[in-house]
Amino acid sequence: MKVRLLGIAILLFLLTFAFHIEGDAETKENKMLLVSAGTFTMGSGNRALDERPVHKVYLDSFYISKYEVTNFEYYEYWQSLQEKNGKSTKVKPQHTPENFTHLPHIGNWPERAKKFPDHPVVGVSWHDAKAYAEWKGMRLPTEAEWEKAARGYSNNLWPWGNALKPNANTAEDNDGFDNRLAPVGSYPQGKSFFGAMDMAGNVWEWTADWYSDVYYFHSPKQNPTGPTEGSWRVVRGGSWIDKLTRCGTTFRFYLYPTLKTSFVGFRLAKSVEKDKK
Amino acid sequence: MRSWLKIILILCVCCPLNGLFAQNTDHNTYVQNVEKGFISLFKGENANAVKAFEAALAIEPNHYEILHYLGMAYAENESWNKAVEVFQRSIDIKSDNIEVLYSLSVVYFKLNQWENAVEPLQKVIELSPQHARGFELLGKSYVKLRQYAEAVDVLKEAVKLRPNAAQNYNEIGTAYLNLKQYDNAIENFTKAVKFGTPDFADPHFGLGTAYMRIGEREKSKAEMQIYQRLQKNNVDYERFTRLTRVDPNNLEGWSGLAKVLMRQKKYNRAILTLQTCIELSKKQKAPPQTLAEFYHALGQAFINMRYPKLALEPVSKAAQLMPKNALFFNTLGSAYAMIGDINNAIAMFEKAVELDQEQPYYHLNLSKLYQSIGRHKLAKEHQQLYQNLLAKQNKTK
Repeated sequence: MKVRLLGIAILLFLLTFAFHIEGDAETKENKMLLVSAGTFTMGSGNRALDERPVHKVYLDSFYISKYEVTNFEYYEYWQSLQEKNGKSTKVKPQHTPENFTHLPHIGNWPERAKKFPDHPVVGVSWHDAKAYAEWKGMRLPTEAEWEKAARGYSNNLWPWGNALKPNANTAEDNDGFDNRLAPVGSYPQGKSFFGAMDMAGNVWEWTADWYSDVYYFHSPKQNPTGPTEGSWRVVRGGSWIDKLTRCGTTFRFYLYPTLKTSFVGFRLAKSVEKDKK
Repeated sequence: MRSWLKIILILCVCCPLNGLFAQNTDHNTYVQNVEKGFISLFKGENANAVKAFEAALAIEPNHYEILHYLGMAYAENESWNKAVEVFQRSIDIKSDNIEVLYSLSVVYFKLNQWENAVEPLQKVIELSPQHARGFELLGKSYVKLRQYAEAVDVLKEAVKLRPNAAQNYNEIGTAYLNLKQYDNAIENFTKAVKFGTPDFADPHFGLGTAYMRIGEREKSKAEMQIYQRLQKNNVDYERFTRLTRVDPNNLEGWSGLAKVLMRQKKYNRAILTLQTCIELSKKQKAPPQTLAEFYHALGQAFINMRYPKLALEPVSKAAQLMPKNALFFNTLGSAYAMIGDINNAIAMFEKAVELDQEQPYYHLNLSKLYQSIGRHKLAKEHQQLYQNLLAKQNKTK
């Protein structure tokens, strides 16, 4: 009996380090959408002070991912890091997403990658997001790229327009995913002019830029890449814990880049090579 | 003997695991508290945010970011000394963190310890030469310290970074006033009025004082009168804000606050306040007229922000609750007209006229719309009615 118990204890110990996700889980294909070159209107004259002034910005064409990066996608990267580290080590690989034991709809990593492959990856810092993007041969969108992908050429409050419809996973009741994350692309009616999904709600999205409340007064008119220094990185789009008013296309928020929370994820961007424009 | 060996072996395997699990459990509790802290902070529940961040830091004390957030929550609760303490702890961990240095200065400023605010602010602008808030607060601190020449220099930098900030011009005006450079003071106070919200009272006081000093008594009197009127609004604002803070279910307080915000043209905040009024009216079973007026005001706020589509729903609700209120139908007509739905706009304006034939502006609205769709005869008729009613009203006055 005691020998059996000993065996079980050793088996449990080994299993702790032997978790492995099956690679055939069904996931949505995260296409890169083309955002054509051109000038759009950035900021807002009558909302928050840091959205002022309204100004025209020219951006070269770029690609933006249709969805927020999912658990499934991030797991592939994380696994590669783990392999690099050697699977038997007790040390978590760098860029491991945070665990949210107290939130069963998110849960722990890497278990949640298997349980919720289509959910946006959360618990990732700005540095994790950047590292993942680089591993994919891409990058995080600049703040200007993010806003253009979300609002297109309109002055709409949200990617779908101005209607107060539950076209996004926010803190408002009865949006289909109350108090929890939604799989990416759960709100096809909420897509932006360029076809990007969940640019309002679900998770805030890291952008490449440092935050400055007066940047719009001085930003370059072409391809702005944010201030050169700061404490906070810009996040955009609002999340499942935010009211719809914080999920607007122009709403700016900021967080320390080291933070790993249940309400921040990211999407990818990529420049279009000059000859392909 | 063999069984002792087995127990020792099991302990050898399990003890490190226990340690690992305990560490994980502690970290999980840390994560849970950090999350709780953020959610509370975003909701404005600062006391809960404080508790949660404190609990998190009791487990993992060296997170400079969480110390900053805890300090912000303390500051929101006006626990200034505690805020200073945790900001200092954060700075001890990361000394070049621009935003914590700035937050520390804000708290020193609030504590009227302007000398203490200066040093971290100088570091902020050294580390981040584009940090407008740093220049602004440093300038204000110099004004408080009566170092007016330094204040002017720093605030001019602030103005370069944020060219339309009325408060900065007001501070520069104050510094020039004290330097007895009255022309410069008037120039800057005038800019403060130009860029400020209509309720910004201080530059009018500055202008009044500057005009007085150069002997322009009439101008001074006019500015002081504006100042007094605006101050009254601001006093009302403070009063209603305090009422709603003390008793969040005080409908009268919320309603008064909404009226002040609409008068001050702060529509963003008015919308949020009116939404609270509507929720409370429903909960407290207020009379339909009260609820209807809140819906109507909400619609007007959306219209003033140029979101007429968003106005349709609340104003329609107001009209349903009070179907004999001509003003509600007129507002609905305006919203339809703004989104280009001319047929509905005409129908609503006609309904308004039907309910109140004596209001000249309802006829004017109808006249303009008929003109726009080429129905000139009807347009002319309503234009005539508008003019007659207006003349009648003026005569009565």
